[in-house]
Amino acid sequence: MENKEAIIDFEGSISFETMEKLLNQLKSARQFNALRKPVRKRVYGTVVESIDNIFKYSAPVQGKLRILQRPPQIQVKEQEGKFVVSAGNLIQNDQVDDLRFKLNRINKMDDKALKSLYEEVINKETSDRDRGAGLGLITMALRTDENIRYHFDPAGPVHSYFTMHITIKE
Amino acid sequence: MEKLTIEPTANSPLIVLDPEMKNFEFSGESRPENVRKFYLPVLEWLEAYTASQESLQDDQRTSGLQCLFNFEYFNSTSAKYILDIFKSLNALHLLGLDLKIKWLYEEDDEDMLEVGQEMSRMSKLTFEYIIS
Repeated sequence: MENKEAIIDFEGSISFETMEKLLNQLKSARQFNALRKPVRKRVYGTVVESIDNIFKYSAPVQGKLRILQRPPQIQVKEQEGKFVVSAGNLIQNDQVDDLRFKLNRINKMDDKALKSLYEEVINKETSDRDRGAGLGLITMALRTDENIRYHFDPAGPVHSYFTMHITIKE
Repeated sequence: MEKLTIEPTANSPLIVLDPEMKNFEFSGESRPENVRKFYLPVLEWLEAYTASQESLQDDQRTSGLQCLFNFEYFNSTSAKYILDIFKSLNALHLLGLDLKIKWLYEEDDEDMLEVGQEMSRMSKLTFEYIIS
């Protein structure tokens, strides 16, 4: 199958305004509009959650390190008849184990177990709800038939670069 | 209680809470920049409305309240607050108010139908599912 040009291929600092621009870019893309509406909504939702994750979990980098470090990235690409949403951002090394645990746990779950975890998390009172408690990852896992692929690349003594790929069938 | 209206934007839904017309409506897209800040006035309004209904005799409470949920999309953080809205509506239901909850979804949007079914189960409220 033909691999087509990316619909979104962005690398840089991401603000709420950037998110609006990227979503408008997605909504005006021909490949995106050619999709059946339910698939389109799954792709759209996955992009929103991926960007939300970047907002919530990106490690702040200051000073000289800022120039040296890789900025957040978001990519949406049609690949072998599927849509792949890729997102990357810098995180603190001490977040790696927790994130790896959450993703491994989610990847091992079937739909029934994911829905049960969703119910547990959505009903949990959190002191800072807008950080999400992992509901975004569970929501994305429920909308894909494949495991969430991810990796951590070392990025200095206190940071790692986290990348995840979510695949949505057309 | 005074009517509460929040006008829609590209990333936040239209919200109308109109007790006089016995009409509650939520429609559009929900992914506001600050979800908590957006939904807090809605939850506070519902809390005050529940308190006002609580202070009335059983036969004076509102009946036939139409609650229309017509979301195009909502993100996972909004989902937490939407469930809180249903929990508030359940408090009204437990007071004996007759609520008609309508969950609209597009014909082939099984994800939105499924989310509605989950919200109904978790909030212990009966929904009517309507193809928009």
